[in-house]
Amino acid sequence: MSSLHPSTIALTREGLADTDASVRPNPVDGEARICVKKNSENERGAAIMQVLASLLWLPQAALLAKGATIIIAGSMAEIHWIVTAIIIVGVLRALLDAFGARLTFRKARETLSEKRRQAILALSQRSPLDIEKPASGLAASVIAEQADAILPYLARFRPARMKATIIPLVILICIFPLSWVAGLVLLMAAPLIPIFMALIGWRAKAASERHLAEMGDLNAFLLDRLRGLATIRSLGAVDFTAQRLRANADELRTRTMAVLRIAFLSSAVLELFAALGVAMVAVYVGFHFLGQLEFGAWGHRLGLGEGLFILLLAPAFFEPLRELSAVWHDRAAGEAAIDALDSLSVTGLPITDNSTQLQAVRWSGAPVALTVENLSFSHAGSHSPLFDGLNLEVRPGEHIALLGPSGAGKSTLLALIAGLAPVTAGTIRIGDTVLDANTSGILRTRIGWMGQTPHIFAGTISDNLCLHRRGLTKDDIDDALRVSSLHKVANAQRHNYLGEGGSGLSGGEIRRLALARMAIDRDAGLILADEPTAHLDKATADEIADRLLAVAAGKTLIVATHDPVLAARMGRTIIIGNKTCREEHP
Amino acid sequence: MTLWRVFKPVIGLFFAERRVMLLAGALLAAGTVFAGIVLLGVSGWFITATAIAGTSVATALVFDVFAPAAAIRFLSLARTAARYGERLTTHEATLGVLAALRERLFRNTAQPSAANRLALQPSRLLFRLTADIDALDSLYLRILVPMAVALCTALAVAVVFGVMHPLLGLAVAAWLLATGLGIPVLAARGSIVPARRRAYRLEALRSRTIDVVAGQTELVMAGQLSAFKNSALTADTQLALSDGTLNLIETKVAAGFGIASAVLLGAVLYGVAYLASLGTISGPVAVMGILVALAALEPFAALRRGAIELGRTVLAARRLGPDLVTPANPLPLQVPAENLAVELREACVTYPGSALPSLQNVSLTLERGDRVAIIGASGSGKTTLLALLAGEIKAATGIARSIASVSLIQRTELFQDSLRDNLLLAAPGATDQHLLDVLSVAGLAELIATLPEGLDTKLGEGGIGLSGGQGRRFALARLLLSSAPVWLLDEPSEGIDGETARDVLQRLAGQMKKKTVVIATHIRREAMLADQLLVLEHGRIKAVCCKGEPEYQSILNNLRPD
Repeated sequence: MSSLHPSTIALTREGLADTDASVRPNPVDGEARICVKKNSENERGAAIMQVLASLLWLPQAALLAKGATIIIAGSMAEIHWIVTAIIIVGVLRALLDAFGARLTFRKARETLSEKRRQAILALSQRSPLDIEKPASGLAASVIAEQADAILPYLARFRPARMKATIIPLVILICIFPLSWVAGLVLLMAAPLIPIFMALIGWRAKAASERHLAEMGDLNAFLLDRLRGLATIRSLGAVDFTAQRLRANADELRTRTMAVLRIAFLSSAVLELFAALGVAMVAVYVGFHFLGQLEFGAWGHRLGLGEGLFILLLAPAFFEPLRELSAVWHDRAAGEAAIDALDSLSVTGLPITDNSTQLQAVRWSGAPVALTVENLSFSHAGSHSPLFDGLNLEVRPGEHIALLGPSGAGKSTLLALIAGLAPVTAGTIRIGDTVLDANTSGILRTRIGWMGQTPHIFAGTISDNLCLHRRGLTKDDIDDALRVSSLHKVANAQRHNYLGEGGSGLSGGEIRRLALARMAIDRDAGLILADEPTAHLDKATADEIADRLLAVAAGKTLIVATHDPVLAARMGRTIIIGNKTCREEHP
Repeated sequence: MTLWRVFKPVIGLFFAERRVMLLAGALLAAGTVFAGIVLLGVSGWFITATAIAGTSVATALVFDVFAPAAAIRFLSLARTAARYGERLTTHEATLGVLAALRERLFRNTAQPSAANRLALQPSRLLFRLTADIDALDSLYLRILVPMAVALCTALAVAVVFGVMHPLLGLAVAAWLLATGLGIPVLAARGSIVPARRRAYRLEALRSRTIDVVAGQTELVMAGQLSAFKNSALTADTQLALSDGTLNLIETKVAAGFGIASAVLLGAVLYGVAYLASLGTISGPVAVMGILVALAALEPFAALRRGAIELGRTVLAARRLGPDLVTPANPLPLQVPAENLAVELREACVTYPGSALPSLQNVSLTLERGDRVAIIGASGSGKTTLLALLAGEIKAATGIARSIASVSLIQRTELFQDSLRDNLLLAAPGATDQHLLDVLSVAGLAELIATLPEGLDTKLGEGGIGLSGGQGRRFALARLLLSSAPVWLLDEPSEGIDGETARDVLQRLAGQMKKKTVVIATHIRREAMLADQLLVLEHGRIKAVCCKGEPEYQSILNNLRPD
């Protein structure tokens, strides 16, 4: 257990050392199409290699049959050559298959990486104001775990499908000239297989999908109960819950098995036909040799070599079909994963941002003026605009409180000022610069942000302050910790890894962390704070307000709040409501 | 062997749970393979024998075709039946084992020490837990079963060749074991590190994706979004490296088996040809040998997946193993002296990894029916004190005693289940009427009446479907169902709007008559429910006072009004 943390941290560090690597620009459409086409050609090439490897069984079988005839003839004369040839062909077959498998895997992995990349890029560019943006938990599950299913689908299923279409055909072509009866036996068995499989298969598919879904439900039940473990324990219901978990699992087992009994018939049918096909060929050839079934060999009589050759090819005829049915379930999971990843790659409401790499500009934290003119904004799918013709003028160094009922748009206004979503109409001017896609990156370096529900990143407290910004010294960190009075906690938890969601920190401490994260950036001349004191006790709320005002001294500050005490400490109060805003007149 | 030590608790659980099924599954799997090999061998013998017999009419007429033909038909049916049976039993066994595994894990994780560990890193650990459970699948299906089948096959094949000539039998057995087991063992050794690393890298990709999506605003504002995005992409690049390494090993294993199989085939062909030329064996037997050799290595190839996944399986077993061994029952919370409900004497608590104690020398004595409010800023130790009284944590020094208690914790946690099952957690045997009664006391009667499915209404993940206020009332109803004489309430009206909060508190006050109540709070309306106030600061008691004392009012006045 203890080995786990260092390596995880090492991974994080390793990864972050690489952050300079520039992101590949999105290929333009035409280029992308060529890429895809080339990719699928390569993929086909790799699959063909695997098909060829399987087909090398034909010469091997011929050599074995030849070997058998030599043995029956009682000679050892040519056996050395045949043994050597069998081994050489076998080795060649193994190597060709390995090479093809490797190529297929590489192509599949590239596709997976590309799909993951597109999903991550799209998610990172979607505005936090986009209400259709997927939740982080869902996105992480799809990108990490679910996407894994793409690899077996592309790497195993597709070559298997190609083998299943080509190899039986080639084998039939080889068998027919020798014996049309044997060919016919296989030909009869082969189409029966897909028919039976289709009959039972649709049932099996539904069954396996339901089975998977229910297994997922079982995991979800366990996760759900573990998440609420505190409640279960506080109610003394551990035993009761454990019994239900067991009962659910047992019930699921009974139900699943009832369905599987039918579902497995599909593979049983395949096995049966494959076995019967081989058996019938063997019996036919045997009776043919005995002279009891003279027909079937175009008027000739088969020799032992020919008979053995046919017998050896018979199982190979069914093998690709068995392989395909074994990887069949990879397809459903793989296609579902591709769909899920593609749905994450949809672009929604973008963040206002064109700048890829920023020049470091030092602003020295001078107070910034803010002008909002005729601002309009509507949420996607909403009938009435949230803002319509909103005007706001903030002088450098002013401290403003934004008040207003829930849903009036206080947080949205802050987000628009920060360029987190494009405005529908109107202009926002920060200092002398109009906020647009090209200037937003630069302008944000002048803005300090203290969000309502700060995200706690995987890492230590100081990782969480720095966010790997360059040029921050230990003194900067200590100052930021002190000014937000987080230094005691930070000292106590210096090397502790903060849990996801900030476990290990209290509500007040999380708010202080957000304050410190903002305060560490001294360049900001405009501070935007969203509900900095909500849900805090009075003492903590007062202290957070003190600290915020200390950080904002000599800078422009805009606070969205419900808290009348905090609002009273600002220079001016603006009421948001009715799609616009107005000055509060006491 | 270390590997054995890692797998012992898991295998122990498997066998305690479904011994017969597990063995039957392995036997049927072996039966499937046997039938396949014998079918091929007999077919080869049959064809060759008939070919020889067919050269003269006399022998052709006396040749007994029916026994071998019947054997071939029987074997092909037996093979199908064995395969079907194998799939059913192995799945039945696996499902049964996984059910037991989940139950055992849940019970052991619910022990206080494990539960506190879990509470520190919830979702990451939880995801790891389910991933680990899934990874243990492969221990039975991909390692134990194929191993048993492969060994049985090696034995049977060795006997077949041993009958032809002892030396040939020995040589084939040696080759099968050396390559059939040697290649997977080498692969497993090579893949242990990459498979483990892959699991960590997948976790890294997961947590970095969460950072980019959930932390997007902070990152944009700090100008670090593209750096974090790149770091998520790097996580995938590194994952691809692990995938590549594992795939290379897997491909090598496949190629290794292909080559080993070709060599075996060639060697056996040479061997039987030699024996046949000496007259030791007949021609048909020689051909049978060739066909048996053809299929002999096939069952070993089934070990491929298991070998590649061994690293992941070991990691899962190593992480889950300790949780599968039921820990000794923790000492139950001591019962205080007669008449007392709660007794703390000089209790100190320090969380592991924390330099400062969370509670220092806290003393508190409550008689049955007493009501106290613990007041303090966030981080002052209120929640720790409640956890101490609930027996969730132990006092490092001092005494902590309490009679049975039930807690209303800060977060309202509802489960993805019906309303009824959510309530039954608190009182498993309660009748529907009893449930409806407490729901109406909690102020939810109207809501339940409007639900078409009533108590059978399902809640979504994390109790979605109820508003914050409704959820809180629901949690209150659950509390009322419990018969425990002590109530531990942690900010009972937090996170709900003023009017609802007052209503919930009023209903709560109406029901707390015969209970001993401890409320942790920083809000006036909650503190007012208590007869006694206890102010905590940095884990120490700063003030204690009772209703009627002048201090009582001044402390209340200092609290947040709403």
